[in-house]
Amino acid sequence: MAVDTARVEKLRRMPIDGQSLKRLVDAGLTWLRTNQQIVNSLNVFPVPDGDTGTNMVLTLQAAWNEVKDSGVRNLSEMAAMVSKGALMGARGNSGVITSQILRGFSRGVHDKATLDAATLVKAFGEARDTAYKGVVRPVEGTILTVIKEVAIATEAALGSTQDAIEILEIAVKAADEAVKKTPELLPVLKQAGVVDSGGKGLFFILEGMLRHVYGESLETPTISVQSLSAMNLQDAMDEVEEGQDFEVVVDFVPNGELNLESFYGRLEEMGTSIQVGEGEGMYRMHIHVPTEKRYEPIDYIMGIGTVTKVAIENLLAQMDDIQKSAELQFTTVEPGQIAVVVVSPGTGLSRIFASLGVAAIVPGGQTMNPSTQDILSSFENLPTDKVIILPNNKNIILAANQAKEVTVKQVAVVPTRTVPQGLAAMLSLSPDGDLNAVAEKMAKAMANVKTGEVTVATRTVEIDGVSVRDGQVIALLDGKLVVSAETVEQGVMGLLEKADAAEHELVTLFHGEGMSHAEANRIKDVISGKYSNLEIEVQEGGQPHYQFLISIE
Amino acid sequence: MGEDNTILGGIHISPNAVATIAYFATLESYGVVGLAPKNLTDGIVSTITREPSRGITVRYKGDDIDIDINVIVEYGTRINSVAQSVANTVRFHVEKALGLHVNSVNVHVAGLRVSDTD
Repeated sequence: MAVDTARVEKLRRMPIDGQSLKRLVDAGLTWLRTNQQIVNSLNVFPVPDGDTGTNMVLTLQAAWNEVKDSGVRNLSEMAAMVSKGALMGARGNSGVITSQILRGFSRGVHDKATLDAATLVKAFGEARDTAYKGVVRPVEGTILTVIKEVAIATEAALGSTQDAIEILEIAVKAADEAVKKTPELLPVLKQAGVVDSGGKGLFFILEGMLRHVYGESLETPTISVQSLSAMNLQDAMDEVEEGQDFEVVVDFVPNGELNLESFYGRLEEMGTSIQVGEGEGMYRMHIHVPTEKRYEPIDYIMGIGTVTKVAIENLLAQMDDIQKSAELQFTTVEPGQIAVVVVSPGTGLSRIFASLGVAAIVPGGQTMNPSTQDILSSFENLPTDKVIILPNNKNIILAANQAKEVTVKQVAVVPTRTVPQGLAAMLSLSPDGDLNAVAEKMAKAMANVKTGEVTVATRTVEIDGVSVRDGQVIALLDGKLVVSAETVEQGVMGLLEKADAAEHELVTLFHGEGMSHAEANRIKDVISGKYSNLEIEVQEGGQPHYQFLISIE
Repeated sequence: MGEDNTILGGIHISPNAVATIAYFATLESYGVVGLAPKNLTDGIVSTITREPSRGITVRYKGDDIDIDINVIVEYGTRINSVAQSVANTVRFHVEKALGLHVNSVNVHVAGLRVSDTD
């Protein structure tokens, strides 16, 4: 939406009193709440618990609750109430800092009935000073740096403008730039490839105030187009809703500039799960629509650009496939025998596990950790009381151990961290042996296999000395990032080299959801070309996110 | 805890090492302006210290680590939130650095520093 210049000119001539401040606080809160999830997702410092956005919203909400029914026109009285409300409701680290910033702001406007440019600048300065007083060892690259840069920029601007709205514009710009600089100041942010979450939150508060002045919408989050490689259409499958039976993907080149707002608006009338990606001059649009509307997105896009490729798929049929493949033949265990329960991330892998003699499978993996309860209910009704659990993921070992604590059955957890370790362990299962002896044997067997994982990076990072760009292929060897590459093939080859594949005998490739069997076989041929002594097998794994899981024995 | 036996021998992590990690985590916590060692004879909070283990007590009890921290908090902050942040941050950093489970982090607000009243 464009800036409402008439509104800005009108506001410019009006004094900014307590009621104006109240509306600004409301705008800052609303805009922060709209973008709350963005802020949460950036949270890696000081503790990566993803609650920064929530804490800041709750803190500002408390400030708003304090003033929302107030008719006070005096600026400093209103600011004092905002400060008090924020203090009382401060939640978490970032919330406490936010409350200190508001406290400083309130001190800066002390005794003023209305806000002018000089007062606003003074208030930003006081906000910075108060915020910095609250900590012995201020960490730069955080919300503290952002309020500092805002104070410095607005102080410098005071010589050239006497307009409070201009000062606010400068503050928002300075906050934006300061947020972008945070990874340079705080290494942990740079490592994770994010900007500081609290700083970003403060930016949203200030930007919300400015958007209010401009008369812009505060309810719809900033529309963004992701890069093509970042589009995750697999995940979109999980969001199939009743009545949205067709998945339509259209590649197109728009005639001139694509107006995103009207584009999204039109698509939202047709269906759900909308994603738009951009790269190399073309756009890709993904949407779920009802059967009768399946040609509408294509017709619409043909009107605004040149369509290069269309894919329509019946989601209901796909869902049926998934349900069918879920019917697996499990080994039946006799009372007294050992039953093995495994966590499996994909249908193909489940089938392989089933063929190796597991008694039950818990679906789950990297992005979908099963709960203790899920694991528990998988074996509670088995007719035996001896159970071995293979978690097959390091994040699930804990839940498996908890399942062991709460059941009356005898349970051993063989701490397999990867699927190949789980498969290796399965091979040394003897169902009639002693539980602990068998578990020990399986644990030994799992140590004989190396695990490779090949996937696509979702953000730009540097870990363990390997630098990765968003969208690049990365390979992990036993959980450690070893290679980044442009193609899956390069990733696999790099990984095998790091794993000293020439010294091993058998390599098994389990290809994931996004990887066709034909392509997997082609890569197999490339490997045989380089390593003539290796025996190579290709199996359908069906796991999400990972193009390949690789077992090296 | 604090001891681990490998095939090569034992690893011992002294309470002092844990206290040092907790010290730095505490000082970076927003709202904390100092640590306060307790004067044992009369319980009076004495001067702010820069020595890592003062103001922090670390105890091992079986498999658990318990950490007690005496802090001085900036007047005008929400003390409850500050204390919770300290507990969270200290637990996170100690567990991350040592891989040991922290049973409890007790934060004692020993005093407030008043830089401004309003």
